[in-house]
Amino acid sequence: MASIRLSRSPLSYQAAARELGGTALGGLVLFAGRVRPDPTARGRVVALDYDADRAPAIRRLREIADLARRRYGARRVVLWHRIGLVRAGEVSVIAGAACGHRREAFAAARFLIDELKASVPIWKTERARPARRRPRPPRPARGR
Amino acid sequence: MARPVTVRLFGPAREAAGTSSLAWPVPAQGVRTRDLVAALARDHPRLAPTLRVSRFLVNGEVVGARARWVRPGDEFAVHPPYGGG
Repeated sequence: MASIRLSRSPLSYQAAARELGGTALGGLVLFAGRVRPDPTARGRVVALDYDADRAPAIRRLREIADLARRRYGARRVVLWHRIGLVRAGEVSVIAGAACGHRREAFAAARFLIDELKASVPIWKTERARPARRRPRPPRPARGR
Repeated sequence: MARPVTVRLFGPAREAAGTSSLAWPVPAQGVRTRDLVAALARDHPRLAPTLRVSRFLVNGEVVGARARWVRPGDEFAVHPPYGGG
């Protein structure tokens, strides 16, 4: 069972964990990627603007989830990605897998996020804000 | 008059062209993909470097190494290297 989502709304880590529920599954690994406020030549990153070619992106996300099922025995998969403006500190992507045991769950989650980044038609554009210059302190008036 | 091809631009291609979509007039018999890419680069010089590293889709199907034709009414998507996550 796979939950696939391209969303303009914030992604909930707790909701993703619920999607991976199932008491018979002993290994559950959930990865969340957040937007970093990295410094750039144009100032600090305040947001990333994500863009996707929706139909091919959804198709590829489904294929990746299916591969995780066949290669690692992932019984449940979550692959969610934000679209549009995502501010620094917010979650932009969640990839998770529930398997019988931890080793397959870690391998499956890593496979999911690596394949998503490499092969799903999603792009990001940095939105940066130049650092503010501090105002100069006023010069003390010269006495005569 | 033949319907144009809809050129869809994403990510860095959208930024370079300043738009996410172009209505591109083509002759009734269509145009080869490589000729369409060359025409796009001529008309939008800022887009040219991105076109050199992009892959292309016609109506949602990746265009392979073999030349394909794009017909009036088709959708032609420009996919720069992916960058999700």
